[in-house]
Amino acid sequence: MNDHGYPHEPTGIETRKLGMWIFLSTEILFFGTLITTYLIFKGRSFDGIRLEEVYDIPFTSVSSFVLLMSSLTMVLAHNAIEKSDQERTNIWLLATALLGAVFLAGQIYEFTEFYHKGFTLTVNIYGSTFYVLTGFHGAHVFIGVVLLIILLGVGQRQKGLSLDGGMNLEFIALYWHFVDIVWIVLFTVVYLI
Amino acid sequence: MSQSHRPHPTPKQYVQIAVVLGILTAIEVTLFYTESIIGVFTDPLLMVLAISKFIIVVGWFMHLRFENRLVNRFFVGGMILALVLFAIVMLERASANFFFS
Repeated sequence: MNDHGYPHEPTGIETRKLGMWIFLSTEILFFGTLITTYLIFKGRSFDGIRLEEVYDIPFTSVSSFVLLMSSLTMVLAHNAIEKSDQERTNIWLLATALLGAVFLAGQIYEFTEFYHKGFTLTVNIYGSTFYVLTGFHGAHVFIGVVLLIILLGVGQRQKGLSLDGGMNLEFIALYWHFVDIVWIVLFTVVYLI
Repeated sequence: MSQSHRPHPTPKQYVQIAVVLGILTAIEVTLFYTESIIGVFTDPLLMVLAISKFIIVVGWFMHLRFENRLVNRFFVGGMILALVLFAIVMLERASANFFFS
């Protein structure tokens, strides 16, 4: 048995954790497909307004920084739970959820601004690929925030979190960092290049 | 739960890593605004910076560099498949432009 009461697996890694990593590798393919589709249409000429005419790089840069820092708070929560420091774990998890919510609020504001300026989902196929790509990422952030809130609730009900159990902080942390690395790529590919 | 034997970074080191990530982001934004000066090197530099940030988060925050080799293979395998898909689509698009333009 390992430190957390699970039997050693022949692979040398706990099956649930391996499953989480396999899930993340399928998510890479999912976003890889969306990014590829977006890049096919980026740079082509279409009727209607283009993203470059409406985006606000300083605003999106701040949003990117917020999401990047949420990865720091998430890893600090993971570090705190490894030391069984429940108070710090809850603080860092709450901070992560709040930073995620700030990022989402920024994305909603940005989408609203784009819509009012005429860059809508149906403006052209380039607009559609932009909204599908960034929208799916936003949906992933939303799911992450919900998972963090559930995790905090479970922690309150069980008088503390541990690295065992179905609602596992480590798996949610992996998911959260994954959402962050997807945005690292999207910020460069969609906004900067 | 981590089954690695190498110790994970300390909270202080995590903060230092986050500072590096913040600096890299600031450089990215600076490059975007100085494209007229840097010219054709801007996009490759932006890609290098994004890849660097990606590797830092995956390696240190997701602890991939401290993990079992099997995990590394699955994650890198996903990346390779996504890149192959990207290459196939781009090649198809390039060949379509060549033959039908």
